[in-house]
Amino acid sequence: MGALFGGWLVAACGAEEAAPSATSQPPTATQTPPSATVGASATATEGETVAPAPTEGQPSPSAGEPQAPSPTEAQAPTTAATPSAGPPDLVVTRGGEPEELVRQALAALGGMGRFVQPGYNVIIKPNICVAYHTYEYAATTNPWVVAGLVKLCREAGAARVRVIDNPFGGTPEEAYQRSGIEEQVRAAGGQMEIMSLFKFVRADIPEGRDLRSWDFYDEVLNADLVIDVPIAKHHNLAKLTLAMKNLMGVISNRSAMHSNLGQRLADLSSRVRPGLIVVDAVRILTDNGPTGGNLDDVRKLDTVVATTDIVAADSYAATLFGKQPLELEYVRAGTEMGLGRSDLGNLRIEELSVGA
Amino acid sequence: MARSKKRGIPWIPLRKTVQGVALAAFFVLFVWSRRGGWPPSLVNVPMRLDPLAMLAHALSSRTLLVGSTLALLVLLLTLVRGRMWCGWLCPLGTLLDLFSLSRWRGRKGAPPDSWRKLKYGLLLTVLLAAVLTNLSLMIFDPLTILFRTLAVSVWPALDQLVTVTETTLYGVPMLRSMVSSFDGLVRPRVLPAQPAFYRYSALYGGLFLGIVALNLVASRFWCRYLCPLGAMLGLVSKVSLKRREVNDLCRECDACVGVCPTGTIDPERGYASDPGECTVCLNCQETCPHGAIGFSWQLTPAEWQTHDPSRRQALMAFGAVIAGVALARSGLSAFREHLGLIRPPGARENNLLSKCIRCGECIRACPTSAIQPSLAESGLEGVWTPVVVPRLGYCDYSCYACGQVCPVQAIPPLSLEEKRQQVIGQAYIDEQRCIAWADLKPCIVCEEMCPLPDKAIKLETVDAVTPDGETVTVQRPRVVRERCIGCGICEYKCPVNGEAAIRVFVPPTMF
Repeated sequence: MGALFGGWLVAACGAEEAAPSATSQPPTATQTPPSATVGASATATEGETVAPAPTEGQPSPSAGEPQAPSPTEAQAPTTAATPSAGPPDLVVTRGGEPEELVRQALAALGGMGRFVQPGYNVIIKPNICVAYHTYEYAATTNPWVVAGLVKLCREAGAARVRVIDNPFGGTPEEAYQRSGIEEQVRAAGGQMEIMSLFKFVRADIPEGRDLRSWDFYDEVLNADLVIDVPIAKHHNLAKLTLAMKNLMGVISNRSAMHSNLGQRLADLSSRVRPGLIVVDAVRILTDNGPTGGNLDDVRKLDTVVATTDIVAADSYAATLFGKQPLELEYVRAGTEMGLGRSDLGNLRIEELSVGA
Repeated sequence: MARSKKRGIPWIPLRKTVQGVALAAFFVLFVWSRRGGWPPSLVNVPMRLDPLAMLAHALSSRTLLVGSTLALLVLLLTLVRGRMWCGWLCPLGTLLDLFSLSRWRGRKGAPPDSWRKLKYGLLLTVLLAAVLTNLSLMIFDPLTILFRTLAVSVWPALDQLVTVTETTLYGVPMLRSMVSSFDGLVRPRVLPAQPAFYRYSALYGGLFLGIVALNLVASRFWCRYLCPLGAMLGLVSKVSLKRREVNDLCRECDACVGVCPTGTIDPERGYASDPGECTVCLNCQETCPHGAIGFSWQLTPAEWQTHDPSRRQALMAFGAVIAGVALARSGLSAFREHLGLIRPPGARENNLLSKCIRCGECIRACPTSAIQPSLAESGLEGVWTPVVVPRLGYCDYSCYACGQVCPVQAIPPLSLEEKRQQVIGQAYIDEQRCIAWADLKPCIVCEEMCPLPDKAIKLETVDAVTPDGETVTVQRPRVVRERCIGCGICEYKCPVNGEAAIRVFVPPTMF
């Protein structure tokens, strides 16, 4: 039971109500990082209904607490002058190597230690939707973005970091390999896991408005932390496939999702509750998604977006395509459900330039 | 001399070891002949060792492949030592030894020797038909039988069994991590990540069990009476250099008669045997209490037996072949090809029917189980040839395994780039059933799945009026003819129940 909500707890680890999980978490009082802002706590505690936060800058109860530094923070960039109010709602890093973009984004977000405690079982969910092309075609998440996260998790003391996806085109083993993700993840100390059928279990979606239950990959529900690492891509029905859409990969019977997709994606997100969302926009796919294959449709942005707010992640990523957040049905549905915030203007966003 | 040999080398354990190793090698090569396993030119070695398959292919396709010359090794072995292939190496023969069912065999004695003619008749028919470019009877080759049974019946059944066990044990919380670790070991290396389904798997499994069950009538019934490869090697064995011989130490105790798996030792003829039937298992030599049996060099051809092929039999086979091939051709095979029969990439243009040895390597290699064995849908002539059934599996845009693994290039060895451009069919939308067209609801799954860089399915956004009078905006899929390669992922993934609302057909323009 405790493990079942591990992912939630992480998302909510700054909130006062969050009790340490009985089974899988060590006592965490000293390591509890500060709750960032209302926006971050809007990722909700178990059983709590959170309305979209109307204001910003509300003082956080634990904002003044010092934060346990993770080993990586020695490299925190000097430019990332963290505001005294705590970590920002959303960090955007631009203009460097993918792994460095990830490192600096996480550092600015408060360090991986904010999300990973020693002994944690972490699941990373990139988008490895097809086995067709190498990462340059921007159909699959950048391997170094994924591997960068694996390294940070390991450095923060995670016991086990597994990377999973359930490709719809080609076999998982081929997709893992061709995307380049397998090689980098292995080198970084993570594992690639094949999502076997028997691990999909029916789970309730208490907050779901359209879906009340669905078959989820069990390991995702049981993980201490789920990191959602989509690549920002074009998709004809959803318009864009980003963090919420990327969670389609952890359920079975995907094609049945396509009616009322926006609401259903929000429902799924309400159940999975990734504790950290890192949008890979090193390359984005602007057309013929989600499968890609044409380099003319690829734009290199050298950008990474990191946040705890899945709605904010997708909202910000939408702007990279020149879209308004609320053009995306799932962003609208997610905002209405209180899964996060799409009012980018009111969020505390930190933009960092990483490159030379 | 024979006695000293007996003490020197433990022949029976040695043979059994060789049999075990050969069977294990066959299994291992089978398991890793899935795409992503071992190199294709390694995993298809057993098929290329098969002299019957290689000869029939050469006759039928009128081409000689360098890879096929591997089969000369088996011919050479036979020329020296007789049907040692059958007794020492053939994986089907070994399985028939393992499941000899001797405990349940009646005491009635074996069928008459004249039954042995059957296999020679079959051999002649296979080869004559091959001359007439027909390879249908390759379904009776022992290696193709075993390989196909493993691919279509045994492995999928094993997968189901493992999945059920995993699902059950995974329900027990304390076993979860153990089940997970086990699963990580077997998938995807041994069992597929996604379950593979094959049509007629029960039928092929049943046929195989039937061959095993024939052991109830006589040991190695298949090898004695039916196997065309055994017949071919048997004929060569008539002139093999080393043959069984009984010397004058024989006390006519009959001990050897009972242990001969092919029942070829004839007490009436001084315990002599027919080298065309002897599988060189050495049971007799090791059993003989007098050391009267040995294998020695001989230069004159062996005696022709009454059950050996006769001119009359050859003529009958010839007549049967002409009538059979003509009948098969006048049936569905040629005609039905044009309707909805999708072949693996490049196979149709490559004259598949006269090249395919029905071995099932492509079926095993295909990672999505898109390639299925055909039964009657490609006509009598096409039984057991590979067909693509998109509703069961799509042709994976990242895969070109079938052409690589085919031991006889019946499916041409295309590169990935060539395969990606190989048109195997065309998708057509059934507007009466399509969710977007008929129900005016959002779907786009076919467009989403289409693997082509510029999408062979395009969406039209239109306003439509529902039966209730409501105006809705829908995205309707349309196929771009000149881009579609017929991979069938749209048909496979189409969420409409039963038959898909987008289906792949072979368009007439392909001929």
